[in-house]
Amino acid sequence: MTAPAATATAGKRAAVRPAGYGLVRAGRTSFLVHRRSAAVATGLLLLLAAASVAYLCVGERFVEPAEVVRVLLGQDSPAAFVVEELRAPRLVVALAVGAAFGVAGALIQTVARNPLASPDIIGISQGAGAFTVAAMTFGLTSYTALPYLSIAGGVLASALVYVFAWRGGLHATRFVLIGIGFAIALRSLTTLFMTKGDYLVAQQAQIWMTGSLNGRGWDESAPIRWTLLITLPAVLWAARAQRTVSLDDSTATALGVRLGRVRLGLVAVGVVLASVATGVAGPVDFVALLAPQVARRMTRTAQIPLLCSALTGAAVVVLADLLGRRLFSPVELPVGVLTAAVGAPYLIWLIVRSRTAGGKA
Amino acid sequence: MSDPVPGTKGGAGTAGGGRLAARGLTLAYEDRTVVHELDLAIPDGKVTVIVGPNACGKSTTLRALGRLLRPAGGAVLLDGRELARLPTKRIARAIGLLPQTPVAPEAITVADLVSRGRQPHQAWWKQWSEEDERAVVEAMERTDVAALADRSVDELSGGQRQRVWIAMALAQETDLLLLDEPTTYLDIAHQVEVLDLVRRLNRVRGRTVVVVLHDLNQAARYADHLVAMKEGRIVAEGPPGAIVTADLVREVFGLDAVVVPDPVTGSPLVVPGAPWRADTGAEATVTG
Repeated sequence: MTAPAATATAGKRAAVRPAGYGLVRAGRTSFLVHRRSAAVATGLLLLLAAASVAYLCVGERFVEPAEVVRVLLGQDSPAAFVVEELRAPRLVVALAVGAAFGVAGALIQTVARNPLASPDIIGISQGAGAFTVAAMTFGLTSYTALPYLSIAGGVLASALVYVFAWRGGLHATRFVLIGIGFAIALRSLTTLFMTKGDYLVAQQAQIWMTGSLNGRGWDESAPIRWTLLITLPAVLWAARAQRTVSLDDSTATALGVRLGRVRLGLVAVGVVLASVATGVAGPVDFVALLAPQVARRMTRTAQIPLLCSALTGAAVVVLADLLGRRLFSPVELPVGVLTAAVGAPYLIWLIVRSRTAGGKA
Repeated sequence: MSDPVPGTKGGAGTAGGGRLAARGLTLAYEDRTVVHELDLAIPDGKVTVIVGPNACGKSTTLRALGRLLRPAGGAVLLDGRELARLPTKRIARAIGLLPQTPVAPEAITVADLVSRGRQPHQAWWKQWSEEDERAVVEAMERTDVAALADRSVDELSGGQRQRVWIAMALAQETDLLLLDEPTTYLDIAHQVEVLDLVRRLNRVRGRTVVVVLHDLNQAARYADHLVAMKEGRIVAEGPPGAIVTADLVREVFGLDAVVVPDPVTGSPLVVPGAPWRADTGAEATVTG
């Protein structure tokens, strides 16, 4: 068991780095790249590219893929209006909303160390929703302005959950339970606003509440595009911080991590992303819960992979909206109805498969 | 044979000048005071073991020495400076700490976990230097877990897992290493294995080690400097041979015992005598 000769063996050995990681080194800078994550990300990008082209092709009038590519390359085409003005903006919203929910879910699940701690479960989406519906009943119905109010709602709701869950530290179970409590309360509040508001507003709010991309164009996607751009550096920082936050509190602190601040930072980025995505498309159910879990099971990383969560979220929303637009055409299903239908079976399959294989993937 | 080790330096020569010390340290959870105005100097380059009965404040003291707990009064000093005023990352380059029950992320591999010990030496743009690689390889070889590098931590036995955690703390390459009951949940063979490893690290690398143990015999066997605590106060400290007596055992643990020389090491061996009786009461004040 004990090796008395250990001192003698500390010689030269083949290069060792964390198993499964590749290394990119240039001068004094070096980056670790998880190989399987890189492969999964590449696969997801290809899937997204294919889904995006399909998204642009399919609609009331089918546009040939070759024609879509011509439009994307900026060449003249009779299909330019349909593709550029009608479908592309909505595709961009779908991609952005999916990516934002995916990253938000990944960050908050990491901090709480619990997959249930997703923005759509613990009251963040509901806070954003309550503010948005309240604004609608007071006559503000512009989708270019609503997302900013959603951020305020989401931040306020999460701050309340954080404060109430805090007891000399952040305990995952307490955080989730208090979050669920707030989610229920905020949902009733939203219903109250809807019944108080006038009929047309209630109808718009109802559609918004199920999560819909209908009628979202360039102007409506501005808030989320800006938010993604502004939070990008924070997300890159977060991807690194996850490595230590996923350890237990004592170990992370012993490694020199300012846990309180780092967690608050991760939650803040997650809350802003989830809130703005909710503001743009409504609380698209399950994306924030599913995407990180699906991504993690595909990459088999020790922490939830951010990039793959974003790509998975985007893929789920794009595919769900593609199906929603065409499945029962001319009737259009809201995207939120289908994200759950697409994502849930896949997650269940992944969990069942990893059980039967005997390994915790 | 042995490579130069830039991480380990200083401390060894200066007699009496302990890098880590507690001055008037008072520790409390909420309003319950656990440790009372404790003064403690950790001798450099030695194995210090803190022993005491359950709830005597030994783990709490260790956590405070590793800045996991903020003092309610007094201070922990590192090189004469208050720990609470130093940047946590700088502390992490000087003090490594293994908590009592560390939790690994699900499905993490051994090499991945050990490499996270390099955190305080890394930055966003410097995620894996040659220095990191050397430290991780060395830490894994020193703890005999190199062969397990690609295995998942979940699959390991208790003894293997504890060695992996120690490897992580070693990869941090700190002069000071604090271990909180590293033998808990291990059978006797694995306990000996872990404590032998601790001693080897100290003797070969000159690391200053502070270990919390509740087994007095193990403490007497492995300590250069023994600290006996009871109810948040230090009852006695010094070389085990000088302080472990039947009187001390009675005072600290409330146990009648015979102390004989260990047949193997010669260190004091505590053999329990008649157990403390209910009529005298475990809570009875010890006159001493």
